[in-house]
Amino acid sequence: MNPIRKALGHVIRCKDASRLVSLQQDAVLSPWQRLTLRLHLSVCAACARFERQIAFLRTAMRRYGE
Amino acid sequence: MSADLSRDLDQHRGYLMRVARLQLRDEALAEDVVQETLLAALSGSGFSGKSSLRTWLTGILKHKIVDAIRRKQREPVVASAFGDIDSEIDIEDFDGLFKENGGWETKPADWGDPDAALSRRQFMDIMDLCLDRLPPNTARVFMMREVMELDTEEICKELSITANNLWVILYRARMSLRECLERNWFAGGGTGA
Repeated sequence: MNPIRKALGHVIRCKDASRLVSLQQDAVLSPWQRLTLRLHLSVCAACARFERQIAFLRTAMRRYGE
Repeated sequence: MSADLSRDLDQHRGYLMRVARLQLRDEALAEDVVQETLLAALSGSGFSGKSSLRTWLTGILKHKIVDAIRRKQREPVVASAFGDIDSEIDIEDFDGLFKENGGWETKPADWGDPDAALSRRQFMDIMDLCLDRLPPNTARVFMMREVMELDTEEICKELSITANNLWVILYRARMSLRECLERNWFAGGGTGA
């Protein structure tokens, strides 16, 4: 992977990314938050997976509430 | 025609009770709210048949729940409805899920095709279980956001909490739920075994 891309992906850590993933479900992220999150998700498979799972949670809750 | 509707409505009582119970954490209040819902459904003319009966009933129920919460908020209480908020809004509890360097202690597992779980009744039972494990105020807030689909501003106004408080509570709820579902459903290959 492009070393610069890899470095940028670690401006934020998984812990920070997990909070942003949750936050984006409820609020519009700032440009900086959005950029650092997207960069991290592009280099971190675990967090990319986490994002999909949180998105699924919302779908599941909608179904649950029907 | 009205006798049929009455019977149909009664079939949904169990489901409505489950939602109300989880949201209000008060059996008697939940019963009142469900009763009000069924009465409103019977007396109103609102059902156009466009959505399913359950969806329509859930819509009425959500409004009744919000009203009940509002009424409760206005009553003088010995302990405030959010008396325990400090312990519930401390985000530090979830630091244990991450290492010193901010990486995952245990990475999220592969869930395969999670959408397939949605049609399984056992999966909804696991959802019940996991939601029930949430601390009461956390569950209430999470339901307001994800089932009643209120937005940040509406929830904060209803409960007199800040947006940051809210986002921390929702983060905790999601982290708990995700882990619970992984442990009790997806880690077993999605068979609920």
